[in-house]
Amino acid sequence: MDSLIPFTTSGSLVDCVDRKMLVVLRDGRKLQGVLRSYDQFANLVLEDTVERIYHQDVFAERKNGLYLIRGENVVLLGEVDLDQEDDVPLRQVEWDVLYPYHRQDIADKKQRDETKAQVLFEKRGFCKEGGEGDGY
Amino acid sequence: MARGGGAGGRGPQPTMDKPKREAILDLSKYTNERIRVKFTGGREGAFYKQCEIYALIYLHDTLVTGVLKGFDQLLNLVLDDVEENIQTENETTARSLGLVVLRGPTITLLSPVDGSEEIANPFLAQEA
Amino acid sequence: MLPLSLLNAAQNKPMLVELKNGETFNGHLVNCDNFMNITLREVYQTNAEGDKFWKLKECYIRGSTIKYLRVPDTLLDAVKEEQNRAREAGRSARGAHVSGPGGRGRGPPQRGGRGGVRGGPIRGGRGRGRGM
Repeated sequence: MDSLIPFTTSGSLVDCVDRKMLVVLRDGRKLQGVLRSYDQFANLVLEDTVERIYHQDVFAERKNGLYLIRGENVVLLGEVDLDQEDDVPLRQVEWDVLYPYHRQDIADKKQRDETKAQVLFEKRGFCKEGGEGDGY
Repeated sequence: MARGGGAGGRGPQPTMDKPKREAILDLSKYTNERIRVKFTGGREGAFYKQCEIYALIYLHDTLVTGVLKGFDQLLNLVLDDVEENIQTENETTARSLGLVVLRGPTITLLSPVDGSEEIANPFLAQEA
Repeated sequence: MLPLSLLNAAQNKPMLVELKNGETFNGHLVNCDNFMNITLREVYQTNAEGDKFWKLKECYIRGSTIKYLRVPDTLLDAVKEEQNRAREAGRSARGAHVSGPGGRGRGPPQRGGRGGVRGGPIRGGRGRGRGM
């Protein structure tokens, strides 16, 4: 039956409905929630969504409820293996504790990217990209 | 209310969900009012010449306010007494553009100036 | 329950809209269309850095600039019920056979948050045929 479904957005997401999914957005945000619905643009409805941040081997999460995500902002959608998700050797801490580290990581990455772009620009004449670029 | 999602989507289609062809924004209520409009394809931030290559960078959003004089279905606007707010790294300057036609498809944000103001963090009270 | 139907059903409900540039808008949905263009009322706008705030009486946001919307948790259930009612009405009108409404439990968020059963009954070939 599955093989009869063409490889389209709707075809490949059918089996993900009502599963716990990981969604990574272009800005680098990582969301986990139950995929309840989608459409031909891969707009997603995510229920009981939890946003997770990571720093080294520590993570924190925050319950954010029901999301409607515009499809074009999604870089990755993957099913969470419920049997193995607890085996990941990460330690959970409070959101407020980890958040400053997370912000710093983002700032560091931005700085690195800017430095890289500046070097490429000066040495090779590469065009510096406008906008913020991708955060993931 | 919701589209008949179940049973092959062939349930009764409630009337509320039929595609709305009319604009969702009634601009007539803003006529002769000052509105704030943000649109894409704004000014380039810089113009570089390096290694014989010219580079235009940073097409960022432009913010203007103006008095709404006219509009059409496609959200094209006619604004008068337009002030463009130019944000550079650490300061905001303004310049007057006078009477302007603004293309609808470029508009990303529109709000009335009346009843709008910068405020202190309104969420702190809730979080505390 | 397509994403845009959910948005449609969110009219007059409070929501948070984040744009691609990181700005956020908290307000009540007034109207929306199939491009995801929306109008909000009683809006709090926050800049991308999260250090400046504006109060707007109302605003229009172009759909293509949106990153995501956060809507009340209860909306999904409300829409499901509404749909079930509509379906029941349709069934009794047509006199078709009745099967129970797709009553999925709503699991807790993180652990085993999936409402359905893995490897459960084969879904209709169209993905959204499950009482959403």
